[in-house]
Amino acid sequence: MSGPSTLNVQLSTRPQFPSRIVDVIVAGIFIYSGAIKALDPVQFASDIDNYKIVPWPVSVVLAFYLPWLEIFCGIALIMRRLYLGGLSILAALISVFIIATVAAKVRGLDITCGCFGHASKNWSFSTHLGLDLVLLGLVIFLLRARGQNSAASER
Amino acid sequence: MTSSLVRQALILAALALLPGVGEAIYFRHKISWQSAIPPSELVTVAQAHAWGENVIWVDARPDEEFARDHVPGALSLNEDRWNELLPQFLAAWSPGRKIVVYCSSLSCNASREIARRLRKQAQLPDVFVLEGGWEAWLKSK
Repeated sequence: MSGPSTLNVQLSTRPQFPSRIVDVIVAGIFIYSGAIKALDPVQFASDIDNYKIVPWPVSVVLAFYLPWLEIFCGIALIMRRLYLGGLSILAALISVFIIATVAAKVRGLDITCGCFGHASKNWSFSTHLGLDLVLLGLVIFLLRARGQNSAASER
Repeated sequence: MTSSLVRQALILAALALLPGVGEAIYFRHKISWQSAIPPSELVTVAQAHAWGENVIWVDARPDEEFARDHVPGALSLNEDRWNELLPQFLAAWSPGRKIVVYCSSLSCNASREIARRLRKQAQLPDVFVLEGGWEAWLKSK
C-alpha cells in the first residue's frame, strides 16, 4: 500500500508537463535536422567544410556521424532513456555550433549553416544564431528541470 | 550523477557510430575523402584554355564582383540568384560544351556548390571547377 510519502516521490519523479512538451519539441527539431543531413551527407560535409575549422577528411567523418548522433539524442529525449546523456550531448553540440557560427562571422566567411538542409540555405547569421540560442536555452531548461526532479525524488 | 551522465553520453555516442559507419560504407563511392572536390572534377586554367571555344565559363561570385571584372564571355550564376540566373545560363548552354565554374580563390566554396547544383539539379554533364578560381585566372594572364 502506498503512503503519502511514496505518492510524493512518485509524483515528483514523473516528468512535469511543460518539460515533457519541451522534450518533444527539442527532440523533434533534432530528429528532423539529423534526418535531413543523414539523407545528404555529401552536402553536409560541404557545409561543415565551409566553416574552415577542420580539414576535409574530418568534415566527411563528421558528416556521417553527427546526424545520427542528433537523431539518437532526440530519440533518447522522447523515450526518456539515456536522457541525461542525450541532453548533455545536445548542449555540447549546440554550444559548438554557436562558437563555430560566431567564429565564421568574425572571420568574414559567408557560410550556409546546413542545419536544416536546403530549408536553411538562405538563413541570415542572426536567424541561425537566434535559433541556436533558443535551442540551447531549451536544453538548459530541460537539464535544470531534470536536476530539480532528481533532487525532489531524493528528499 | 556525473558518472551516469558520462556513461549515458558514451552509450549514445557509440550507438550513433553504427549507422554512421554503415552510411560511410554506402556512400564510399559518392564522396572523396582526399579533397572537397575530386581531382576528376578540377580543371586548371591551362586545361580550360586548351578546350578553346568548347568551354562555357560560369562566374559563381557575388554580382558586385562579377560586375567589377570577370573571365571574358563568362555568365554569372551564383547562389543568391540561382533561380533567376539558371534559365539564362541554360539558354546559353548547348550539349557537348564543357562548363567551368569559378569563384574568388582556392579557399572559396561557391564554385564547388554551383558545380554540384548544376550536376545534381540541372542534370548537366561535364561540369568542372576551376582550380584556384579567379585569382588563378588573373595570374595566368
